[in-house]
Amino acid sequence: MFNYVIKRLLSTLPVLVGISLIIFILLRSLPGDPAQVIAGELATQEAVEAIRVQLGLDKPLYIQYAIFMSNLIRLDLGKSARTSQPVLSEIWSRLPNTVLLAIVSIALACILGIPAGILSSVKHYSLTDYVVMVLALFGISMPVFWLGLMLIIVFSVKLHLLPAGGIGTFSHIILPSFTLAIFSTAFIARMTRSSMMEVLGQDYIITARSKGLLEKIVILKHALRNAFIPIITVIGLQFGSLLGGAVLTETVFAWPGIGRLIVDSILARDYPVVQGVVLIFALLYILVNLVVDILYAYIDPRIHYD
Amino acid sequence: MRSVGLWKGFFVALLAMGLIAFIPHQALAAKELRIGIGIDADSLNPHEQTTTLIQNICDFMYDTLFYQNEQAKVVPMLATEKSVSKDGLVWTFKLRHGVKFHDGTPFTAEAVKAGLDRALDPKLKVPLRFMITMIDRVEVVDDYTVKIHLKYPYAPLDYVLSATISAPFSPKAVKELGDKLAVQPVGTGPYKLGEWVKGERIVLVRNDNYYGKKPTLDRIVFTVVPEHGTRTAMIRSGDLDMIVLPQPPDVAAMEKDPNLKVINAPSTRYLFMGINNQKDIFKDKRVRQALNYAVDKDTIVKKVLFSLADVAEGPMPESLFGYYKVGKYEYNPKKAKELLAAAKFPMDRKISMITPTGRYTFDRQVSEAIQAYLTDIGLNVELRTYDWPTYIAMIYKPIEQSETELFLLGWGPIILDADFMLYGQFHSSVLPPKGMGSAFYSNPEADKLFDEGRMAQDPAKRKEIYKKASLLLWDDAPWIWLYVQKYTVVHRKNIKGIVVLPMEKFNPIYATIE
Repeated sequence: MFNYVIKRLLSTLPVLVGISLIIFILLRSLPGDPAQVIAGELATQEAVEAIRVQLGLDKPLYIQYAIFMSNLIRLDLGKSARTSQPVLSEIWSRLPNTVLLAIVSIALACILGIPAGILSSVKHYSLTDYVVMVLALFGISMPVFWLGLMLIIVFSVKLHLLPAGGIGTFSHIILPSFTLAIFSTAFIARMTRSSMMEVLGQDYIITARSKGLLEKIVILKHALRNAFIPIITVIGLQFGSLLGGAVLTETVFAWPGIGRLIVDSILARDYPVVQGVVLIFALLYILVNLVVDILYAYIDPRIHYD
Repeated sequence: MRSVGLWKGFFVALLAMGLIAFIPHQALAAKELRIGIGIDADSLNPHEQTTTLIQNICDFMYDTLFYQNEQAKVVPMLATEKSVSKDGLVWTFKLRHGVKFHDGTPFTAEAVKAGLDRALDPKLKVPLRFMITMIDRVEVVDDYTVKIHLKYPYAPLDYVLSATISAPFSPKAVKELGDKLAVQPVGTGPYKLGEWVKGERIVLVRNDNYYGKKPTLDRIVFTVVPEHGTRTAMIRSGDLDMIVLPQPPDVAAMEKDPNLKVINAPSTRYLFMGINNQKDIFKDKRVRQALNYAVDKDTIVKKVLFSLADVAEGPMPESLFGYYKVGKYEYNPKKAKELLAAAKFPMDRKISMITPTGRYTFDRQVSEAIQAYLTDIGLNVELRTYDWPTYIAMIYKPIEQSETELFLLGWGPIILDADFMLYGQFHSSVLPPKGMGSAFYSNPEADKLFDEGRMAQDPAKRKEIYKKASLLLWDDAPWIWLYVQKYTVVHRKNIKGIVVLPMEKFNPIYATIE
């Protein structure tokens, strides 16, 4: 297992180099001049030129990339074109907020989604099943933006129970995490249901029941564990995308996360920050995938990596 | 029975969430004003600003030599006296005694020089440097006297010295902080930076050593809330005390809210549909006049902007020195068609119109309305939207490369003088890429007037010059003259004494909270 983890971690290096090249080329293919954006609509061409030289954008592309890579090796992501501050400090000031929101949301989604899916599969084609699945359908189709604003109107403006936005106390995380969790909950519930339905028809479940085991044990130990591989895959994917920044939720609830940072940076053509954030996203995604793969082996002893 | 356990777990989770919901949120601290803003600052260095709102925040930390007050008048702030040499090239200022920067450095003539020299240093990032390029050099006469030598006479220099970019800097901070001035502002203003959590909030705390009247508020907290709807919800729920520039459709609801006060103040944000005056089809002034007659500005202001703007009656906002009311271009589609016919305009020629989206209030919707009015008189107009970086790259291309024909843009003079608006947009020397004259308007007669207006020292004479310039421009119609946006400030009724300034700024430092 140890060797496997090391091998996987090493294999992330070429992936990151590839991603850095792609994002570098993509950013520079976008129309719009970062120097002009920073200078603003009131600036003269002379001012724009000075800013371009200061940002190093006057150099040929391959030299810009070489500078970027040589800095990257020293873990220096450069300075933000907008704020003149180190990119890493810009990212670190936002990343913990995004990670916190993602963890709370995915935990909430698991707490709600897995039991709902199990319930639905156990009582399949019953009223309970239909109710849960219709709710899941709503959860998947509801626009996050709309849901967020509705929750704000009800819980903040009308009932004065929760803050409408911002960050600070525990109560600030409730509405954004709930809004964000709705989609994942629905997704996890549906995946749990279908995965469980498949397993519940297997011979070993019939065997377990005929042995006279408690239904609770049959469901939670025999069925759920076998049904868990696709569920954990979905949870991993959902968590990965939540870490990638839930831009809309962060915007609606004024949550200062990394999603908003990347959108603001793209709009300002702040190349160093966009490059930095994309690399960090990629790294997080790779790590989450690795954790999911390791969990496979833990859940299903038949899976070996050595 | 077998699923009872699962149901139990499910409901326990729901109940826990319900209980959490009742935890009360942060109570209001004493004498703290919480203002919701849509964007975070890039930098708190007055030299690096282009956004009025962030300049406004800098203004609370950096006092300037002069101050533009709510009546659009320039009054002394850190300067106490001014005198101008006969040729208008040397301005002498006496400075206030007993003022200290936040880092303890005394405010002297050296600080005026440190600030302006830094702003003029071509190696540094100063986007609005063009505002002060009339300054040749700054001479320190003694601790409390400073002379500013100009390259050419410039009558509204005191206006320029009231702009955020002209703030004096602590010479010690300039030397020691460098790039860090962006995050560690050191001014002489009534507030100091308490805390800046990126993407979240900027907290200003009162400067107890302030030389002037002591501010009433202990803290001003600017909370970053990017979404309009959320800002509106937060002020209605009491999570914020003040917001600026809400979406027009929300304003009516807020006016009805008994807890809120809505101020719709005049501003300087002038919106126009620029016309590329050097494109073949627009070279004839009758065509440009026709476009002006074809658009019903009154209806656009009323229906699209919910009356939160004033239709333009001259080529600059009313609060500028030198304003002259020429009178509206009436909505007259018949006259528009006649003018086009007289100019033999090729009606089947496709006209390209571009618009930003989300940069100005309802910009895209306004452009769509204009497109519809132009289509009504038989023109073939194609409208495209672009994101802001792409957009400004397009309109500031030099004429040989420029493909723009019609483009929506806003111009908000930060200096309340006609020179800033007219010279900055219509003088032949400011055509892109040299300047921002994106309409490529060039008229030697107008240039002469702009030059005279800049050089003349007598206010009455300047007014006369700008009257002539206004009449000439209005007739030449280099733009479709649209409207001047109002600046809407909403605050909770328990806050008293918020001052709204004419250049889209506010001053709450002597506000009280009941």
